[in-house]
Amino acid sequence: MHELSIAQNVLEIVSEQCTRSGHTKIDSVNLRIGRASGIMPDALIFAFDAIKSDSIARDAVLNIEEIPVTGLCNDCSHSFIVQEEYILNCPACKGSSFQIRSGRELDIIDMEVS
Amino acid sequence: MKVKVVTKILEANERIARENRRLFDNAALFVINLMSGPGAGKTSILEKTLTLKTGLRIGVIEGDIAGSDDAERIEKHGAPVVQINTGGACHLDANMIHEVLQDLPLQDLDLLFIENVGNLVCPAEFKVGEDIKVMVLSIAEGHDKPLKYPLMFQESSALLLNKIDLAPYLDVDINKIKKDALSLNPGLKIFEISCKTGEGLSAWTDWLKEKALRS
Repeated sequence: MHELSIAQNVLEIVSEQCTRSGHTKIDSVNLRIGRASGIMPDALIFAFDAIKSDSIARDAVLNIEEIPVTGLCNDCSHSFIVQEEYILNCPACKGSSFQIRSGRELDIIDMEVS
Repeated sequence: MKVKVVTKILEANERIARENRRLFDNAALFVINLMSGPGAGKTSILEKTLTLKTGLRIGVIEGDIAGSDDAERIEKHGAPVVQINTGGACHLDANMIHEVLQDLPLQDLDLLFIENVGNLVCPAEFKVGEDIKVMVLSIAEGHDKPLKYPLMFQESSALLLNKIDLAPYLDVDINKIKKDALSLNPGLKIFEISCKTGEGLSAWTDWLKEKALRS
């Protein structure tokens, strides 16, 4: 829902790091986005492409690795992968008391610069 | 060549949130990030909280996409209030809060409410420097909400179940809301309230006093 502000954050962080490393052009950026982060990869790429034109990332491709939502049930200790983003129940015991183990990531991993 | 970045995209926000938190701590101010979907009754709850004699000096930051109606409602109760218009953004972030802090008498307040943009998803993602998050759900929104929007229920310290006076007219299972919310967040404090009849409001303000004065 707030992909544009996330794209602005990404552009700011990678531009600063690229300049700091003594380079002038970003070729690609690799992100890791959890499926429960509320961010849609396609919308994020669209927003990034829309704002990158006047920056050193103007030719950069955004690659997104989607991380599935995984949980650990507090009731029966079953580890599971969730197919839906939001409706969460333990598939083994149907309990709704669980810890989210992954799926909320919003991380920049690395980038290719020249 | 490859350059390692390994940065949380929201790190810039979290840095500013920590700076806000430092300013709040210096003023011995307890700060609540108040969240809900649109129309659940956040502003009405703040109005009622200001009317009840809590003895707390309360300030308010109002976040809306547009307009200043909410700030005008708060101002009538004599509380210091600042309106933020996000101009389309679906949540408040730490920097928006940081920019208006100079407009509030932080040193003269005990409790600051930050009323977030009406939205059950995004506000829970962005820290603004608050001590705790409190969410409002009006029972008219339905008993499926905790399992559909788990993050907000998991992040909140208290849940205000508002418009409880409407229960006889709705096919809503209030016990299911409470059960699902507690299974998502066993430490959640739940208050059943009605701004219309005043039911439950004194339990809420007693809890607020205890929280704010302990800080």
